[in-house]
Order: sequence, then structure tokens, then C-alpha cells
Amino acid sequence: MCTIPKKRQKILMITGILLAVSMLSSLPLFAISAEEIIQKLEENQVHETSRSEGKMSISDRFGEKVTTFKSWAEGEEKTLIEFTSRQERGQKILRTDDEIYLYFPDAAEVIRLQGAALRDSVLGSDMSYEDMTGGKGLLDSYDATLLGTESVDGEECYKVELKAKGRGVAYPREILWIDSEMFVTRRVHMFSLSEKLLKEMRMEEYRSLKGKTFPVHFIIEDKMKRNSSTEFVIESIEIGVDIPASRFSLEELTW
Amino acid sequence: MKLRKIAWRNIRRNTRRSILSMSAVAIAAMTFVFMFSLIEGMKQDVAYNLQTFVTGEVRIHHSEFEKYKHLNPLHLGVDSYTKLTARLDSMDGVRTISPRIKFPTAIYKEGNTYRAQGQGVDFEREAEYQGLEEYVVKGRMPRNGRNEVLVATGLAKEMNLDIGDNFTLLTQTRGRGMNAITFEITGLSHYNFGGLNNSFFQAPLDRVQYFLRMDNSVSEILIKLDDNHSAEEFAAGLDRSLTDWGRPQLEARMWKNISQTYSFVVMADTVYFIIALMFFLLGSTVIINTMMMTIFERRKEIGTINAMGMTGPEIVRLFFLEAFYIAAIGSFVGVLAGIGITYPLSIYGLNFSAAMEGVDMEVSQILRPVLNLKSTLFVFLYSTFIASVASFIPSRKSAKIEPIEALRAI
Repeated sequence: MCTIPKKRQKILMITGILLAVSMLSSLPLFAISAEEIIQKLEENQVHETSRSEGKMSISDRFGEKVTTFKSWAEGEEKTLIEFTSRQERGQKILRTDDEIYLYFPDAAEVIRLQGAALRDSVLGSDMSYEDMTGGKGLLDSYDATLLGTESVDGEECYKVELKAKGRGVAYPREILWIDSEMFVTRRVHMFSLSEKLLKEMRMEEYRSLKGKTFPVHFIIEDKMKRNSSTEFVIESIEIGVDIPASRFSLEELTW
Repeated sequence: MKLRKIAWRNIRRNTRRSILSMSAVAIAAMTFVFMFSLIEGMKQDVAYNLQTFVTGEVRIHHSEFEKYKHLNPLHLGVDSYTKLTARLDSMDGVRTISPRIKFPTAIYKEGNTYRAQGQGVDFEREAEYQGLEEYVVKGRMPRNGRNEVLVATGLAKEMNLDIGDNFTLLTQTRGRGMNAITFEITGLSHYNFGGLNNSFFQAPLDRVQYFLRMDNSVSEILIKLDDNHSAEEFAAGLDRSLTDWGRPQLEARMWKNISQTYSFVVMADTVYFIIALMFFLLGSTVIINTMMMTIFERRKEIGTINAMGMTGPEIVRLFFLEAFYIAAIGSFVGVLAGIGITYPLSIYGLNFSAAMEGVDMEVSQILRPVLNLKSTLFVFLYSTFIASVASFIPSRKSAKIEPIEALRAI
């Protein structure tokens, strides 16, 4: 029978203790699956109905441009945005399911965006119309994998990878850093099919209302544009408000 | 004097062979009278198209515009343009001016999207600047202040649109936002070059300013000058004046310094010069061959005249003169034939529509060769010179024939 030297016994014991401590500390984090994390995130960030007002500040090599807007939303699938700033006053974007319609006061027809036009930028921002589509839940369109935990802005986050199940999504792969306590996204990276980082979204500020916590200040950077970023600030928001169904109709859009 | 007579007589001794030699030079000369005329026509055509539709003779632009052109930087425009046009209108040498806004756009029609190039113009000014009415093939010119548009035939055909139809276009505004507006088609236009016909439309400047949120700005001002004014000198003077007028951000440039198309045509001119040289050398080989055969056939004759006292250099001159006469006559006939072919084509034009389809250059589909005295004279002298010089090689050989050997055969 072989005997282990005392010094080696000590090292093995310390290593064992360290391993046990690290496994125990990670247990509460990994006790949850990637799917559960995404479900909790969506419960938190998606509202049955909401009405908000905010501003969008676009910075690029030519300077900064601020656009203000009002927005109405019902679940993930219906959104109406009406721009209120002087240059864009009266312009509206309506999203119903996967369709995007644009209304301009000087245009006699409502423009339904499709195909390559969906990749155009919304008012020159870092967000495309395509970013607004995909109304289904994330788990309907993506397979989620928990990659581990990482600290973002000093907060512990789950790092979740989303891989598209099919071709009907704007980004084939995304990585989300989801706050492990609040279940809100702190950072999102969107990748192309060739694994190129296309966009980054960073959350700066959150608000809690009626038991839900959601971002109200975030920045999107289109990595394909040089020196460009778009900052969204939700200045006021109400959730669980009554919104008539006609608000999201094409007839109402032109009024 | 004697040598010239003998040379001329020798040419007539074998008329068929002399005509064949002349024909080689004539064909080369005829081809290049035509080709140089075609290039001259192309140069004039590109210059007109650029000056009328693209750059003007002199263009006033924001100095940063070209750098960010791919981003459609409408904010880098000519602000308070009416003040500037008032100054330009009263300037010596200015024939006519055209303030314009160029913008790329997407046109939406019944669920389909078409990419197009829009231009906001003052239709009253354009009647003089472009002679725009000439290009309206159906309907009428739009009126300033109305949501009316003149659409190029190719674009109208692609979108299946006609007079009275509406279409909505979506584009980026000066503030880098988006806006859309609906226009009614009042006229269809057809231009000489395909680049415009396939994707181009023109709308009233004031309406384009409104929907692009341009206020009193335009993206450029094009200037056409009186005939006796140099565009280069005018552009340099105006560029200095713009700074004096408190607009250092603007620049005035002459058309040749803006577009590359003209440079390509000028380059083609040089390439044709080199090709012409090759053609004339090729034509000259027939003369060289004729001269060599003549020298071989007349060995005895050369020996006789040598024995009678004609010196080697004189024999060389004799054969050189023969070659020179053949080349000069061939060139002259070729130049005349070239003029004969080119002149009617300069009136009726040559249709390159099929070849130019899809070519996005400011070259018209129907080109009219332009006879140029300088290039025609050049072709005559050049072909005569090359053919004469080429014949010098066999002519020298004639001087080396020994009289004894040549006469031994008698």
C-alpha cells in the first residue's frame, strides 16, 4: 500500500476544498437553464401593453441629431412609433407581426417595407427596420445555450448564446449578458453568419414599474459604421394601459 | 528632276502592283481618319454631357462633399443659394447657371422597390441650361411648386409607369432623417446616355428642398460660360471670390477636374495614336515588299544605270521617291475615303445602343464622328511619313548591288 507524503496530502486537501467552494458558489447560478433565463428576461422586459415617450440621439461623424417620439406597444408583436421632433413630425412606423409599415405625411401611400429595404436604417440611426421585426418570443426563433457567467459593469450576468433555428431572423447568432438578479439584458452582441460582430447594445439605466424591471436608457452601435452610435432614452412610460386595437391598424396609421 | 520623272515612270510600269501598295496605305489612312473623327466626336459628346448633366463647365460645391459622397451628405451643400445665384447671374462670362439637388432614392410602387437617382431642378432655368424641352418625349415639363416629376423612359418602363401615374419615393433628408413624398408623372424624358435613362428623374427644386428639409440650400450650382471664357481661369477666379464672399467652405472646380470619363476618352485618343502607328507600319510592309520585289526585278536595270554613272545615293533616292509617291497617293486617297465615310455618319450618327447598354458612363448611345482638320492632316502626313521611312530599308539595298554582277546576266 503506497503512502502519500504529508506535504502532498496538504496540497490535495486545499485543492479539494477550493474546488468544493467554487462548485458550491456556482450552484445557484447554474441551477437555471438558458431557456429559463430567457423566459424570465421576456417576462420582465415585455409588457402586455405600454405607452412611452422618449428620444433617440444619433451620433456620427457629422455630429449629433436628436429625434423625439411617442410609442405604443402591445406584447412583442405590435408597436406604433410616432415621431414628434420638428423634422420628422407626423411620421409613423407601425409594426404588426413581422410587417413594417411607414407613414409619411407627404406620401399618398403607406410604405410596406420588405426585402433588402428592411436593412435600411431607421432615421439614420444604428437600428435597422429589421431590428424591429421578429415579434415572436426569442425561444421560438433561437436555440439558447448558457455559456457561463461574466461580470458586466460590476454586475454578475449570465452569458447566453442564441443561435437561430431558421433564416427568418435579423441576426443568426447573438450573445446576451443577462443580469443574474434583475433578469434584464446588460449587453447584447449581434453577429453575422460569418461570426462578424455587427451590432452591440449596452444598457445604461433601468426602471422598475408594477413589478417589472426594464431598460430605459441604452446605446446601440452599428459596428459596420465608423464613429456611429444611437442612444435611446425612454423619458416616460406607462405599462398595462388600455390601447384600442385600432391603434395598430393601417387605417389608423394614416389619420 | 530627272529622278522624279524616272520614279513616276517606274510606278506606272506595274500599275496593278502600285495600286495594291497604295491601297494598303489608303485603307490604314481611311480607318484612322474615321477613328480619330469618332474619338473627337466622343470627346465633344462626353464634354457636352458632363457640362450639361453632371458637372457644368464650372461647379460650385461644398469642399467636403466629394469625401463623403457615398453617405449622401446633403448637409454639406450650398446654403443661401439664392444670394449666390444672384451674384453669379451678374458675373461677366456666365452664360447660364443651374442650382441642383442630387439625391439617391428608393421608389415604392405597388410593393416593389426601385433604386433611382433624383434631381431637384429649377425647371425655368433648366429650359435654358439643359434645353430640357428637347429631351421630353411625352407629356410636359413639371411646374415649379408642384409635386410633379419628369421621369426618364428607362425608369418609367422598368416601373411600368406612364403620364398621370403617381409614385412615392423614400430618401434620406438633410438632417439624416427619412422622408417620403408622392409625385405625379407629367412627362417622360429620353437622354442620349443610358446612365440617365435607366434610373433618373427630375422634380421641382422647391418641392425637393421641402421634402429633403433643405431650406434655402442646394447640393451644387453648375455654371455654363460664354464661348470666349476659359473654364479653368473662371473656376480659379470664382474659387478666390467664394472666400472673399465669406464662403470658404465652398469650392469652384472646372469640369475636367471633376469627372474621370473625359480623362478616359483623352486616354483612348493616345491609345488610338499608338494603334494608328501599328496600322501604318502594317500598311507599310506592303510597300516594303513591293519595293523589295521591284529592286529584285530591276537588278539588271540598276546595274546599267549604275554603270552609266548614277551614284549609290542617287539610286537610293530614286527608290525612296517611288515609295514616297505610292505612300503619298495612298494616304491622300485614304484620307479622302475616310472623309467620305465620316461625313454622312457625322450627320446621321452611329448607334451604339446595344453595346452601351448597362454602361454607366456619360457617353451617348448615338455617336457622331467629328471631322477634325488637325487630325485629318495628321493622318495624311503621318501615314506618308511612316510608309516612306519604312521603304528606306529596301531602297538602301538597291545601292549595294554591284554593277558587274548585275550586268553579268545580260
